[in-house]
Amino acid sequence: MAEVVVSGLAHRYPGAAADTLAGLDLAIARGEAHALLGGSGAGKTTLLNLLSGLLQPTAGGIRFDGRDVSRLPPRDRGVAQVFQFPVLYDAMTVAETLMFPLRNRGWKRAAARSRAEDIAGRLELTPWLGRRAATLSLFQKQLVAIGRAVVRPDIAVVLLDEPLTAVEPATKWQLRRVLRALQQELGATMIYVTHDQTEALTFADRISVMHAGRILQTDTPEVLYEQPAHEHVAHFIGSPGMNLLRGVVDAGAYRLDGYPLAPAPGVAPGPCIIGFRPEWAALVAATAGRSGVARGAADPAPGPFSTLLPVRVTATRVLGIEARRPVGLVTAMLGDQPVRTRQAIECAPGDGALLAVDPERLVAFRDGARLGA
Amino acid sequence: MRSHDQRAWFGVLPVLVVVAFSAVIPLMTVVNYSVQDIFDLSSRLFVGLDWYRETLRDPRFQAALGRQLLFSALVLAIEIPLGILIARSLPRRRAGARGNQGAGLWLVVIAIPLLIPWNVVGTIWQMFARPDIGLLGRALNLGGLDFNFTAEPLHAWIVLLLMDVWHWTSLVALLAYAGLASIPAAYYQAAELDAAGRWQVFRHVELPRLRFVLIIATLLRLMDSFMIYTEPFVLTGGGPGNSTTFLSQYLTSMAVGQFDLGPAAAFSVLYFLVILLMCWLFHVSVMRDDDTGGSGGT
Repeated sequence: MAEVVVSGLAHRYPGAAADTLAGLDLAIARGEAHALLGGSGAGKTTLLNLLSGLLQPTAGGIRFDGRDVSRLPPRDRGVAQVFQFPVLYDAMTVAETLMFPLRNRGWKRAAARSRAEDIAGRLELTPWLGRRAATLSLFQKQLVAIGRAVVRPDIAVVLLDEPLTAVEPATKWQLRRVLRALQQELGATMIYVTHDQTEALTFADRISVMHAGRILQTDTPEVLYEQPAHEHVAHFIGSPGMNLLRGVVDAGAYRLDGYPLAPAPGVAPGPCIIGFRPEWAALVAATAGRSGVARGAADPAPGPFSTLLPVRVTATRVLGIEARRPVGLVTAMLGDQPVRTRQAIECAPGDGALLAVDPERLVAFRDGARLGA
Repeated sequence: MRSHDQRAWFGVLPVLVVVAFSAVIPLMTVVNYSVQDIFDLSSRLFVGLDWYRETLRDPRFQAALGRQLLFSALVLAIEIPLGILIARSLPRRRAGARGNQGAGLWLVVIAIPLLIPWNVVGTIWQMFARPDIGLLGRALNLGGLDFNFTAEPLHAWIVLLLMDVWHWTSLVALLAYAGLASIPAAYYQAAELDAAGRWQVFRHVELPRLRFVLIIATLLRLMDSFMIYTEPFVLTGGGPGNSTTFLSQYLTSMAVGQFDLGPAAAFSVLYFLVILLMCWLFHVSVMRDDDTGGSGGT
């Protein structure tokens, strides 16, 4: 297993007007489970193909454990890949499939056989070793494909291209669990491409959020959630996404509708996007007044910025019951901008209410980039 | 409660009528002829299975059947591998590449022999191979070979096989190309990452996925070559001697040339049964291992 370092990597398809990937930098530690997360067109698959050697970079380099592999053909890179659908050799048995990459690299039959049996055991495929892979279920086929990818002990990195796509929804979580357990047991460096944030957040140690051919932020799931470095990351991560409202920086504070929400030291005045997660804010009844304490996750401290903003509730959605009270999402209008909070539901559509936002956790962006961080 | 509405049968009636007039009635007429001795249209005699016995004992029938089997076997042995080889060497769209790199032009070029009428194919090769004026025949003779397909049975067979290969390999190539084009690029990528060689890619990726296409190609070529008539008729006329007289030509000479309707009808039924038997044997042999997972090719 190897450390993967990508520096200044760029790729432009022949005849294309612009780079699909531009100036990418990424360092993935040995044994790390890393996810590339982004929508379609973000450049995830292009990056994967550059790593596997299917595409050649137009600039920059890729190093596995310090060895420059960017010009090597795929077979010499020590890369294995799991595809969106199970890619198997139809006529081979499971055992033959698992032994195939080893035999092609000069392993003796007995050694390859015992390694294949070991991997099959970890994936609970032992009873099917003698069966033709084509006769298995989709779930088991994808397990075999994963097994074939990790069977070589000298593999540098395992690439997974949306490996759960073809699997039935009911078994997706199971396959993900098996994959994660295998990754940890073998200490394999894995790069997992997905557009599904749940898959990325539950699989990976660290995630790179990609958008329009660039990596916007690489960090742990917690940091991505709490401290998004880019407006797109804030929007993309979390369900529902972060509230992103048009505001301004003026007189040293972030302001919505003129009300100050949090101090903005050293930030140039001007328009900005103010973001906070639904659980970082709460609505309180209009009658609670400015001294009222918001119920729910947010508990704005007294002070000049514990502002309460007048809003009108437009919708509520119950997600569960906690302490005999319905909790869920409340949508309200702040001027012409919708705001969502996650809290105990004590109001109804049409009610007036006051919005309180935790000033400590508020984030702001200008031109996509984070302000004041 | 399930209701059975028998009126639906009226919907199938037109098809049944068409099939009856186009297939069942002519076939039964032939069966009827095959058990009678026909002198003229008003005087006939029921002879039972006599014509069948006679046909099966006829050394000319046996020889024609033997030649026919040999011809079909050789045609399949050459055209199927050659067709796959051609299909594999045509340019194909690969991942990361844009456009199909001119495969369309190649497909049209190799399909040209398929568009030529069969008797024209025979005529083309008849002229091409003539030792006096044909490009092939004359060139071989000038090169020191004593080549004369109108006199030498072996030479006639070689020309006949060359002609059939030229005429029909494109069909196998086109079918195999369609099969290859349907293989997702990921299979080639996986094989590359597994360090598979060219032969292994063919053996483990392409061949299993071509299985059904090749079954179709083999069946088509088997049936077609077994019923070949026009091209050898034009090219060699069955000669020299009877060395290239195949079943259909012998049958035609019996039915049309000598007007032996009874024996010709028995011959036709036997001919039909032999083709049916071969197709069934072929079907059984390739589908045998299906329960262990033949669905992989779909």
